[in-house]
Amino acid sequence: MPLRLVFRNLTNHWVRTLLTIGSLTVAVFLLCFLRSVLISIDSAVVSSASNRLISQSAVSLFVTLPLSYQGKIDQVSGVAGTTKMNWFGGYYQTQENFFAQFAVDADRLLPNYPEIEIVEGSIEAFVQNRTACLIGTNLRDNYGWKVGDRVPIISALYPRMPEGAWEFDVAAVYHSNRDNIDNNTLFFDFDYLYEAIEADQADGPEGVGVLAVGLRDPGDAEKVSAAIDQLFENGPQRVQTTTEAEFQRQFVGMFGNVPLFLSALGMGVIFAIVLAVLNTMLMAARERVHSVGVMKALGFVDRKVAALLVLESLTICLIGTTVGILLAMLSEKGLRASPMGVFFPGYRISGGTVVLCLIGAVVVGLIAAAIPASQIQRLRPVDALRSEG
Amino acid sequence: MSEPMIQLSEVTKIYTRGSEKLVVLDRFSLEIEEGEFAALMGPSGSGKTTLLNLVGGLDAPEGGDVWVAGAHVSEMEGQELARWRADTIGFVFQGFNLLPVLSAFENVELPLMLTPLSRKKRREHAEYALELVGLKDRAKHRPRQLSGGQEQRVAIARALAMDPKVILADEPTGDLDRASADQVLDLLEKLNREHGKTIVIVTHDPSAASRAHKIIHMDKGKLGRIDVNPVAVAGS
Amino acid sequence: MALVPFSYNLRSMFVRKSATLLTIVSIAATVAVLCGVLALEQGFDSLFKEGGRDGILVFLRPGASSEGESYFPRDRADILIKSCSEIEEGADGRPLASAEMYLAVRLKKLDGSETNVPIRGVQQRSFDLAGEMMTFVSGRRPEQGTNEIAVGRGLAGRVQHCVEGDVLTFNTTPFQVVGVFEYDGPFRSEIWGDVDRMQEALERPIFSRVIAKMRDGVDVTAFKQRLEKDPQTPAKVMTETEYLSGQTAMLSGMLLALGAILGTVMGVAAVFTGTNTMLSAIASRTHEIGILLSVGFRRYSIFLGFLLEALLLGLFGGILGSMLSFFLNGVETGTTNWNTFTEVAFAFRITPNLLAKAVGFASLLGLLGGLWPAWRAASMKPTDAMRRQ
Repeated sequence: MPLRLVFRNLTNHWVRTLLTIGSLTVAVFLLCFLRSVLISIDSAVVSSASNRLISQSAVSLFVTLPLSYQGKIDQVSGVAGTTKMNWFGGYYQTQENFFAQFAVDADRLLPNYPEIEIVEGSIEAFVQNRTACLIGTNLRDNYGWKVGDRVPIISALYPRMPEGAWEFDVAAVYHSNRDNIDNNTLFFDFDYLYEAIEADQADGPEGVGVLAVGLRDPGDAEKVSAAIDQLFENGPQRVQTTTEAEFQRQFVGMFGNVPLFLSALGMGVIFAIVLAVLNTMLMAARERVHSVGVMKALGFVDRKVAALLVLESLTICLIGTTVGILLAMLSEKGLRASPMGVFFPGYRISGGTVVLCLIGAVVVGLIAAAIPASQIQRLRPVDALRSEG
Repeated sequence: MSEPMIQLSEVTKIYTRGSEKLVVLDRFSLEIEEGEFAALMGPSGSGKTTLLNLVGGLDAPEGGDVWVAGAHVSEMEGQELARWRADTIGFVFQGFNLLPVLSAFENVELPLMLTPLSRKKRREHAEYALELVGLKDRAKHRPRQLSGGQEQRVAIARALAMDPKVILADEPTGDLDRASADQVLDLLEKLNREHGKTIVIVTHDPSAASRAHKIIHMDKGKLGRIDVNPVAVAGS
Repeated sequence: MALVPFSYNLRSMFVRKSATLLTIVSIAATVAVLCGVLALEQGFDSLFKEGGRDGILVFLRPGASSEGESYFPRDRADILIKSCSEIEEGADGRPLASAEMYLAVRLKKLDGSETNVPIRGVQQRSFDLAGEMMTFVSGRRPEQGTNEIAVGRGLAGRVQHCVEGDVLTFNTTPFQVVGVFEYDGPFRSEIWGDVDRMQEALERPIFSRVIAKMRDGVDVTAFKQRLEKDPQTPAKVMTETEYLSGQTAMLSGMLLALGAILGTVMGVAAVFTGTNTMLSAIASRTHEIGILLSVGFRRYSIFLGFLLEALLLGLFGGILGSMLSFFLNGVETGTTNWNTFTEVAFAFRITPNLLAKAVGFASLLGLLGGLWPAWRAASMKPTDAMRRQ
């Protein structure tokens, strides 16, 4: 089988080949990106802890729970420990510098979140100092903050009165080894927040945002959730307790149709590529009529001659796809570190994405070659030789 | 007397164009012996090329039988026919028909890729064929770098690569100047006289015809007179 | 044995028209997808922009960018309403103003999944201020002081219990649905009820904003500056138009970015397909071109000729793509408004402006695809062109 013909035919019209490969590269790059975004949207859910529940208001994301609830939940059988978590909704200097901040029970955070490992500074400093904060390694790298720095954060939910920024002292830096906690978060002491509001130094809703509840036994999840919700059935604020995965999923759900939408867009992109490759293969087939006639006259079987075109199509698709994947991988780190990276902490080009793209390349290559290859297969040598193609 | 190498018996070939039917060959019968050099001549439209195609198994008749080298070609099809053609027939077309993307050597090697021969063996055969036609030094050139005559000789080398019994050439000198044409014809003559190949050429060129043992005239799909060339016969 | 066609019929097997067609389809697909995304953005955007009125003022807490972040204690809201002379008075001598509470509550959609729906606790004046923007398609206004609510048309058919006669429970209190209204703006996806009853049910005694009718001739800018510095009732004030326009920023931004990315990727594939097509067309007409050049036609006229051909490809693609996207016009959909985390229902909207942009973009694609081939054609040497391939 003269495989070198495949290579020669492709390089004979190298502009056309390159342009087709170029279309594929750009498209595959985008598809990798889209798929990785979809995966990262899910990643927080997927990597949720199985032994942790989240208790939140059953009414609204934006309603707080009474402080007294925590003590009652601590008493529920099966509960290993709880910590308050209030979304702070702030930014550093300008609104583009957006990342998560939580007011938490400083002494209870680490026992409840073993994913968090302290890599710099000390947890004791964090616990003992009222105005201390714990930051993730990404924050340290992106903003150049060090242990001992004072960091000003402006909060829209808890504005300082009359105005100004909250100031936190960096006591420690953490690294999380799972996607459910990203490395872009700032934790500080709930008491600091509470006391400031009491003293009219800040404004904002009193109460607890959510309570993270640790389970002694992950198997107890349903039982404990039901028990906690039951406690507060009649108010003052109804509660809904779910696994951490469920809690994360509600945010995914807010993306609503986005996964569907992105998939539909992916289809559009694939359609465009198929057209591009099909156009190229049809052109190739058209110019090849005479050579096809010669080869068949020499004794090459119909299927083999057609197969050469199919191989050309596959080669173009695989090269274009591979380059696209490589580019996507190279840009992975850059995207994760960029401001957009805050929204998609789990963004990475997975092995699954790579395999899917390669399989897709083969499928597209086959689809695009189908018609021209069958034309070549059916071509009679006598007719082919007679033409001037 | 042994079986003729090529035998056409009452062969009829009809082309249909829309509702028109064109009878290209009309109950045509012909025999060509092994080792003969035959030339087909006649006005255009007389069916010469069609005849050649039928002999080579590139086309099939509507009526009659075609036997070549002991095979019932008109009844063969598909892979069997392709393989037989590769083994038995060497084609030389008017337009040279070299693949432009391959070098001269690679073009000659092409039909050998149909065989189970090793790379080394293929190389040997191809080099030998190229040497036979006197173009070993042009092995690496692409067709566009060769002159018309050289291209045609490479095409002949390719036709020889499988050591076929029969060589069929359609207007092999049609596009060549006199000098190149003579070179090609000398080559064909050599293949016939020294290597025993049965050769059938379609031609308008009297000089080409003069190399043949017999000249077969055709008109409107029917066999005309057959001239035997005593000089050629005597020399073989 | 099959009958043999003549060789000139061969050409019909590999019709050159296919390349032209594929290029047009490729551009059309790009345009259609782009139109889809832009129509989505336009539908969302116009819902908000057209839902606002210049004569209505919206007061938020200073520093808040949306109602969700804003709150007024009751007394502050009252003082604000009474003290601002910029607010017009009604026939009864009382200010045409209303204090409202806004909260995104969790409700279940018809398919069982959870979503966030905005509920608005209003004073009776809010209905008056809504005026012509609001029409009841069934039922009536909720009565003051009762647990009655009215739901927006955008919720009917998507969220459970949003039909006249049904009951929705907020926290522990049931509310009766007494009417369904259509609103010419984003409020068509909201639930309205008595603010005092709602505050009680939700244990949330705070207002989010004040809405009021502006006196004629008021200088909004001056008003803004005055209120910002007011020690007693600091507030952020703007026209309703301004406020709603600001609510679309995030999602609009995302959609436009998405449109840009898609347009680029699919556009690249389309341009490359176009280039290949033009190159092939030119290759088959070199003889013609050679003749034209040797007869005396100037190079630039050859260049323009081919460029025009490419432009036409783009134009046809643009028209085809626009026509395809028309199927989307008016299709209702919903997505999350990222500024408020609530779902909002709106329809795809195709505007003449959008179509013009789309067709323009398509023409650009065609032009880009034809640029280099046209230049190649124009730089051909006549002698090379005339020589048989």
